[in-house]
Amino acid sequence: MNQETTTESTNARDAEQAADLLVTVASTLNERLAVTADELARSQALLREASDELMTAFRGAADRIVAAQRGADAAAEGKSAEYGLVLDHLYRAVQHLQSHDLVNQLIDAQKLRVDKMREKLVQALSLAAPPVTHPDQAETWIERSRAMLDCIVAGIQQIDQDARAPLGDKHNAGSVDLF
Amino acid sequence: MKTILAVDDSATMREMVTFVLESAGYRVIEAEDGAQGLDRATATNVDLVITDQNMPNMDGLTLVRSLRELRDYKSVPILLLTTESSDSMKSQGRAAGATGWLVKPFDPATLLEVVQKVLR
Repeated sequence: MNQETTTESTNARDAEQAADLLVTVASTLNERLAVTADELARSQALLREASDELMTAFRGAADRIVAAQRGADAAAEGKSAEYGLVLDHLYRAVQHLQSHDLVNQLIDAQKLRVDKMREKLVQALSLAAPPVTHPDQAETWIERSRAMLDCIVAGIQQIDQDARAPLGDKHNAGSVDLF
Repeated sequence: MKTILAVDDSATMREMVTFVLESAGYRVIEAEDGAQGLDRATATNVDLVITDQNMPNMDGLTLVRSLRELRDYKSVPILLLTTESSDSMKSQGRAAGATGWLVKPFDPATLLEVVQKVLR
């Protein structure tokens, strides 16, 4: 009888330690993800600032060239060639400005993924908060660990649900199919 | 002057498409998602629709299907301009009634070539 009680008590202690370890892992992961979320937000802010500046400059140049093209002197041969040259430069900028936009969308999708995973980790950690009713029973701790793991696994499975990342297929970029 | 409807939830992308098309002498109307695109297309008859695929409210393929149900848009060219490049998505585009599929980021000269071709 005594040996049974001792074994059960040892099992309960092991199960409690495993549950504690899971809490440590979940909270450490949550902290690391918080740092990642912050770095993503800072990267996006920097990129947005740079993109806004580039867009303002681009807009100014684009508006002027379109207005000049439509102007009365646009038909003059020399002017037309000059406009064409400026347009070529602006067209090249169009391709790169699109990449900025795609990177922004990618960061948005990554931020959403990180936020969703953090939500699930916080939810999993909340399952470990209330005191257990029978701390001397291994099953109590195992159930708690199982509930936490189920929550984390659900988070991993849902991670892509709302994140609409642009696919960024370099090989096919710019390709055209006419049906 | 031909009128083109550009539908994209990204303001930058709309601005890029509009600039390229306006610089080539087209008139451009913009919409920020499929639902707004459908409203704009029914309010003003346009000669060509260029739409993104992944957008909130209504995606590009749904917009194509909705437009093809309208008498005025049975034969108006509709181009998908998207980052999606899988064959299955392109097949869905074709089945929905799209005229063509362009993968972002687009090359302005290629876009103008395609536009001229489908408007001919």
